[in-house]
Amino acid sequence: MTGPLTLDMVAGKMKDFGVTEQVRRNRIRITTTPDTVHDTIRTVQAMFGFDRLITISAVDNSRTLELVYHLTGPHRMVVSIAVELPRDLPAISTVSDILPPAAIYERQIHDLFGIVFPGHPGLARIVLNEDWPDNEYPLRKDWKPNPDTFYGGIKGEKI
Amino acid sequence: MTVPAAGLSQRLVNWARLKSPWITVYNSGACNACDIEIIACLMPRFDIERFGILVKGSPRHADILIVTGHVTLKQASRLRRVWEQMPEPKYVIAMGACGASGGVFHGLYHMMDSVDKVIPIDVYVAGCPPRPDEIINAVVTCLNLLKEDAAHGGKEWRKKAVPGTSMDTKTSRVIP
Repeated sequence: MTGPLTLDMVAGKMKDFGVTEQVRRNRIRITTTPDTVHDTIRTVQAMFGFDRLITISAVDNSRTLELVYHLTGPHRMVVSIAVELPRDLPAISTVSDILPPAAIYERQIHDLFGIVFPGHPGLARIVLNEDWPDNEYPLRKDWKPNPDTFYGGIKGEKI
Repeated sequence: MTVPAAGLSQRLVNWARLKSPWITVYNSGACNACDIEIIACLMPRFDIERFGILVKGSPRHADILIVTGHVTLKQASRLRRVWEQMPEPKYVIAMGACGASGGVFHGLYHMMDSVDKVIPIDVYVAGCPPRPDEIINAVVTCLNLLKEDAAHGGKEWRKKAVPGTSMDTKTSRVIP
């Protein structure tokens, strides 16, 4: 479909998945739960042609960790599918099986926020250095660098 | 300190090196503004080839290493490896505010904060980014250093004495 896509068209079909709201002129936000995000993406892909992933953003709102999947399509509307994850043991199943580019975003989110994506083909480090210590997630709000920890690079040495 | 007189072949090499310094540029995590200024140097308006300066792709062919930008933790070991691959005598120019102190990125969680924590620096260029004429000036300053070092027989004469540290650059290695 290539015509204008309105909130009413989306909200009627997506009411099973969560709250749908129009946050901006071209952006529709669907707040859903971690269990249904897979079905939500499949549904917006099949019904409204939201078949391209723009990005996955991760937000630490200091209570929970929030993931927002931004998808777009030929009608130039953007749908933002938001889920909230608990801070302790945040895990959500990967969407890289239906959206292959999601795999690289999920690796980065795993690096910086420590969110685990079960089913991901290879959740290795991508942006942080290889010798970065485990269980240190620098973009979380409660993270502080420990002065006694060696975070990689080259140790202090006079040249 | 007695400096041994350079033989004819060594003097010939020094002369040739001063007439045509080869440069390699290494981006250790910069925002690419410094790289754009270096590209502007290569273009006909500034045209650094009139000084015989040639930009080479490999550090193994280079006399001068220009490091653009701060050093991220991930780039630190790579930068050290690039520097170790350069043949002696090697000179390093740290470019911009980031190269000197980390610039606006100073103190971030993934930063080494300055290039001189990883490799020894000979010339700093100020600016964010430095203008191409300042880069050319830095390279010419570097060539004057090279000339003086050749007369003194090494870099040791301009090192400040720091008690309790090794003065020899050849012995500095990565501490695992």
